[in-house]
Amino acid sequence: MSVSNPTLCPCGSGLRPVRCCRLDLSTVGPSEASRHLLPLVDKAIEIHKKGGLAEAAKICLEVLELAPAQGGALAILYQIRRVTGPLSAAEALIRRMVALDPNNVWATQELALLLFGKGDFAEAEAHARNAVRIAPADPQSHNLMGMILTEANRPQVGEYHYRQVIELLGQRQPILLANLAWNLKNQGKMAESRALYAESMALDPTILQTVLGWARMEETDRDFVRANALLDQAEQLAPGNPSILLHRAILCGRTKEYDAALAILDQLERQSEGGGLGTNELLEKGRLLDKMGRFDEAFAAFDAGKGKGVEQSGTVYLADHAHQLTERLSRYFTAGRLKIVPRGTPIDKGPRPLFIVGFPRSGTTMVEQTLSAHPRISAGDELTFVNDITNLMPRMLNSPLAYPEALADLWMGDQRDGLDNLRDYYLQRARQLGIVEPGATWFTDKMPLNETHLGLIALMFPDAPIIHVLRHPLDIVLSVYSNHLTHGFYCANALETIARHYVLIADLVEHYRREMTLKYLPIRYEDIVDDQEANIRRMLSFVGTGFDKRCLKFHENKRYARTASYAQVTEKLYDSSRYRYRHYLKHLQPVIPILEPVITRLGYTIDG
Amino acid sequence: MVDLSAAPSPPISKTIDQWRADAEAHEQAGRFDEAEALLVQIIEAAPAYHPALHQAAILSYKRKRSLEAIARFERVIQLAPDVALYHRNICELYRSQSRLDEAVFHGKRAVELAPEDPGAAYNLGVIHYDRLELDQAIAAVRRSLELDPTNASAHFELAEGLLLTGRFEEGWKEYEHRFDLPNAPPLLPPNDRPLWDGTPMPNGVLMLIGDQGFGDTIQFCRYIPELAKICPNIIMAGSSEMKPIVMQQAGITHYFDRWEHMPAFDAYCSLSGLPRLFGTDLANIPAPIPYVQADPAKTEHWRRRLDTLVPKGYRRLGLVWSGRPTHGNDFNRSMSLRKLAALAELDGVALLSLQMGPGQAEIGRYFGRAPLINLGAEIEDFTDTMAILAGIDRLVAVDTGVAHLAGAMGRPVSILMPYAPDWRWLLDRTDTPWYPTVTLHRQEAPGQWDGAIAKMIETVTAER
Repeated sequence: MSVSNPTLCPCGSGLRPVRCCRLDLSTVGPSEASRHLLPLVDKAIEIHKKGGLAEAAKICLEVLELAPAQGGALAILYQIRRVTGPLSAAEALIRRMVALDPNNVWATQELALLLFGKGDFAEAEAHARNAVRIAPADPQSHNLMGMILTEANRPQVGEYHYRQVIELLGQRQPILLANLAWNLKNQGKMAESRALYAESMALDPTILQTVLGWARMEETDRDFVRANALLDQAEQLAPGNPSILLHRAILCGRTKEYDAALAILDQLERQSEGGGLGTNELLEKGRLLDKMGRFDEAFAAFDAGKGKGVEQSGTVYLADHAHQLTERLSRYFTAGRLKIVPRGTPIDKGPRPLFIVGFPRSGTTMVEQTLSAHPRISAGDELTFVNDITNLMPRMLNSPLAYPEALADLWMGDQRDGLDNLRDYYLQRARQLGIVEPGATWFTDKMPLNETHLGLIALMFPDAPIIHVLRHPLDIVLSVYSNHLTHGFYCANALETIARHYVLIADLVEHYRREMTLKYLPIRYEDIVDDQEANIRRMLSFVGTGFDKRCLKFHENKRYARTASYAQVTEKLYDSSRYRYRHYLKHLQPVIPILEPVITRLGYTIDG
Repeated sequence: MVDLSAAPSPPISKTIDQWRADAEAHEQAGRFDEAEALLVQIIEAAPAYHPALHQAAILSYKRKRSLEAIARFERVIQLAPDVALYHRNICELYRSQSRLDEAVFHGKRAVELAPEDPGAAYNLGVIHYDRLELDQAIAAVRRSLELDPTNASAHFELAEGLLLTGRFEEGWKEYEHRFDLPNAPPLLPPNDRPLWDGTPMPNGVLMLIGDQGFGDTIQFCRYIPELAKICPNIIMAGSSEMKPIVMQQAGITHYFDRWEHMPAFDAYCSLSGLPRLFGTDLANIPAPIPYVQADPAKTEHWRRRLDTLVPKGYRRLGLVWSGRPTHGNDFNRSMSLRKLAALAELDGVALLSLQMGPGQAEIGRYFGRAPLINLGAEIEDFTDTMAILAGIDRLVAVDTGVAHLAGAMGRPVSILMPYAPDWRWLLDRTDTPWYPTVTLHRQEAPGQWDGAIAKMIETVTAER
């Protein structure tokens, strides 16, 4: 058992804190001052090449003790810590390199990649963009943008960057093609995706990730037979590989062979050395057990999965950030102030947004699939633009303040039409994505938790319809707990923080509705399950369009929704998705006092 | 062991009455916590000493803890069933909770125990009014006035009873006592000019004062054109909010909203005094509907706004569910939005909230099927309200100013009425001579809105 040395930096680099995370960069001398150390650095490089990690690290630590900003030593030590861990040390070292030299392409790309691996897409994107700025002709810069934006749910932009890579390389690398195929799958372009996977496999049939990605694509497209065949192929490449087993389990789950799925996961667990199942495997296991009616075991698996996730990523709910934002929003958006705030002018032509808002796992995906089966409504999926605008606002309104206070600049003579600019930015981004089909009047934006920004939405689009999908809060909390989600300031990692964030946002929505004139329709998920047609009619007439029978068969809507909900929405409405919390009342006890007032307010009850 | 942090127990040097007096002093000075702590100690030490318990009940009432107050009063009456004051106090509390059966029981008991107490008789009269036992109500307040003819509240209550039952002449006379009511602000600053007696004033300046609430002003400003025929020089004192409505009545030469801007005048008259001076009775209520109109430019603005907010083809129902909370009878006339759940179930209907004030908070907690649009957030003044009223299919409201406004504009209105309504709505009828386009939906029992709401829904759905 290793005991960390208290005199060393907690990040785990092996350096002393004053030479590491507590280093004052302003005290760093010019690089010439450490030139006499270069022979040592060269030696470290030499040894590192030969695989002498410990010895190379020792030399680097010596160099950095004397010259903590020595680039070569930082780079070697970073590469060693990436392999040996801890990851926090690698991150600290590469961050330091970028801070010392923001024009270092390699370091910038490494940092972006590391953050991408951690799942911190927002910061990863910022560094990837820097990489493109510094080295626009470097394929790796574009490749990072492709990977990050694909996973950050902006696959259209990601596609552009992947295609840049192909052009810059002047050749079609198999891994790149597979990445692009995955991207296209996320856009629902299945035929194109399939063709690229085939091309990639033809070039190199031995890459496991490619076969697995293809299998996943076929599973998404509901060709379970083909998916199975691909997994057989993968099995030949890497017999007993845990990823293959997980994919098999998911596939069995989708074909309702729950026992088989569970057996595979158990096999996976036995096979793994020490660590047991990972977060995704545990959550999948929990969901399978839930479907089988083994609720106690299911909840235990959710607990274990979430626990593992926190252990690995270290991300916990950013309660202070969340509170601060909602407090500032409530303070800004008041009827009295808004009387003198201008509004965006109505859109006179072209498609217009239809906002479907709600907490993650409320049923927003189902509502979008339903409505977008209508020929006049296109699916936009989770558009990040409202969020983007909150970040861009200070710049776009030329304000020294942050959102929402930056809206004060709308009172300046040269910013009177600032909201039109924000609105046009949103519309232009939507156009770029090419989501609007011919003949459509509306496109949906179902970014979960967009209700946090109802005020801004109503200022930019004063007449846009807003459909708020409601669901029993205990069902929501349970469902968020059984899935991996990063929305809502990372609240999803613990039962209590999910509940707290739910209440925070519910109160904020209540505030907006009291203080603003909104075109707002609350709709209950349970009501849709109960009487599908009546509620679809209600939503469509609220939006302002006639009923279309195709909306009733939304599960045949071939469009692929890329969120966690996709497997459910391709199935017909099922009654068992309502009030699932009743099986978990004892597990949910800790959050009931938090949620009880809002449950009552929404008109729900808690039944055993 | 002695707990030094606890309050010392009362030394025995004071009598229990002195202690109670101390508590009362605390209460009078607004030190409610101290009063409460002391009273709790006294009651603990002497549970049968009912004056302390009575003091505690009054304290609860002052702290607006009605249920606690009732529980304490009930206990007092158990201890001392024959003290008239206790019955007199509890009956008013029951009334404020719409528990009228209990209220009338104790009201009668108070009168039995203290037949010479004008307060007890008055309280009983008010309860009878709320129960629409109008003959008994009138008899009780007349008895109270015999005992104490100076009680303005009793005069006003008598006026309400007489007017409600159509006895206008005597009713108007008694109604003049409204300016003497406790807490009634003076009608105008001290001056040496006379109250106008109704004789034509072709040359002098008559100052008309918009007294009472918005509803009264809207209702009675219809008299102004007639008044101008005999008094051509009318200046009007009123709130700025009412100006765009009142100034639509021909004959006002000047309107001001601050007393320091008061011009010279020769006589004054309250707006709500005009029905009396014009000798209004059931047969001659003037109803020159519409006598209020929306501004065309504002109407166009709101037409466009409503077209974007309200789904196409939806019926537009305006909605106001609560009045000004400071109104003395607000607990009776207002309701909660939640009560209107049946309205929220209608298909093809959009509910347009014209609710202003604290009632707006309920909008955030509404999750009914019919979309509810919070127009109040964009309403700046009554010119907006009028423009919205011009563009909706019907207003559904409790007895509040907006209902009068819609009535004065000749718009279709459903007013939800408490069991015992304000005098102007008369009895046993669904229409009103004051506003021909208004339909009244009355509670069938005190505090019971369900029947009135069901009738309103019938009216609304019949129109489809």
